[in-house]
Amino acid sequence: MSEFLAGFQDTMAYVVTLMPSLMAGAWVTAKLFVWTLVLSLPLGLPFALGSNSKFWPIKAICQIYVFIFRGTPLILQLYFFYFFLPIAYGIRLDPFVTSVITFVLNYAAYFAEIYRGGINGIDRGQYEAAHALGLSKSQTMFGIVFPQTMRVILPPVSNEAIVLIKDTALASIITVGELMKASRGAVNRDVDTTAYIIAAIIYLGFTFVMTLLSNHLERKYSRYDSREVD
Amino acid sequence: MTKVKSNGIVKIILKKDLKAGDIILEMKGIYKQFPNCLAVENVDFSMHKGEIVAIIGPSGSGKSTLLRGINGLEKITEGELDLYGTTGMVFQHFNLFPHMTCLKNITYAPMKVKSVNKKSAEDKAMSLLELVGLKDKADVFPGQISGGQKQRIAIARALAMEPDLMLFDEPTSALDPEITGEVLGVMRKLAEGHSSMIIVTHEMNFAKEVADRVVFMDGGKIIEEGTPKQIFEDPKSDRLKEFLKTVY
Repeated sequence: MSEFLAGFQDTMAYVVTLMPSLMAGAWVTAKLFVWTLVLSLPLGLPFALGSNSKFWPIKAICQIYVFIFRGTPLILQLYFFYFFLPIAYGIRLDPFVTSVITFVLNYAAYFAEIYRGGINGIDRGQYEAAHALGLSKSQTMFGIVFPQTMRVILPPVSNEAIVLIKDTALASIITVGELMKASRGAVNRDVDTTAYIIAAIIYLGFTFVMTLLSNHLERKYSRYDSREVD
Repeated sequence: MTKVKSNGIVKIILKKDLKAGDIILEMKGIYKQFPNCLAVENVDFSMHKGEIVAIIGPSGSGKSTLLRGINGLEKITEGELDLYGTTGMVFQHFNLFPHMTCLKNITYAPMKVKSVNKKSAEDKAMSLLELVGLKDKADVFPGQISGGQKQRIAIARALAMEPDLMLFDEPTSALDPEITGEVLGVMRKLAEGHSSMIIVTHEMNFAKEVADRVVFMDGGKIIEEGTPKQIFEDPKSDRLKEFLKTVY
């Protein structure tokens, strides 16, 4: 029994020594996550509207953009941007900035498709009623259409956000010192997998917070019952 | 069937203080061409302020298309349409905004389009809710009320913009027969208040009772028009006679 206790104490002491570097990594992960979401959520909207555009060049650009960023591996995109700018233009961006740019472009493509589905699901009658009342196009979109899509797009958007928490780990391959890189460093150094377990717990913590947040938002936007009775 | 190409001219002339008896709407040689059919063919029609016109006719006769041409929901293909004022519309499927309470459905457009302040928009909305008999539904979402109540809210919403001409596109067609009465009752009240109204409807009794003039359309054309008495009791054309036989 005392042997077990001593072992446990040793483990805890080891964990305590790991914490500073893992927490620093977790902080970078959190920043990467927040920056990506804050920038990609709005960026998806113009691409969603563009894909619905009647003006074909805009439609084509938006569709090609979505096709490329959804159709290639995120890890390839990370490598591409990490090496493309220095090789082609001699610009050396910070790896963190490079990964934010890559994640934003990638996730905006997914969000664009989610938004597009939500917008296309709005009944034509809503546009007609808005027109008949004299509302402008932007008043119709921002006041009538987008608020109604919220309810529909929230579940897939929060699902993507949870996927993003885990995708941030990919940034480690271009030397961003986030949680994955920090834990791998500790494991390689100490030949002890405890750091991975702690990293897993931290990732789960992030996911848990995100789940709570999305549940809260889903409740908020489902206040009204939108079943249309004909 | 002749294919029509050129562009329709729609003039909206905002005229203040239109008096009863002044022309509020004038249509000359209106055509509406859809990709596969000519929905409206050479329609001439005009009406006065305060007049109540019912448009009847079989399904696919172009009556809804003509009505939707008046407020631009359908772009007319050819012809001239002069509108002396603003329109409001009531739809077959209500088209209320499901994410807004009934009150907000009514106040939203006046606040956004006319920049009416919240207080006076809400006061106005409450008096309209009283008119349609739904004062207690102000804070309820449209998903929680019946079809007849929805349509009455939709009428209040259209009235909030104080339109010069109200367009009703089969306002009771989506309702169960036993609740059409509550909607028709509200429309009757409007009629008594001398609103200008065009009503596309299948409710022959209502048309007979409320309309000053009844227009019968078939195949995209106006076949016959006249007072309810002339149309229902003394139809001239064979097509109208045939139609009246099928609806009674």
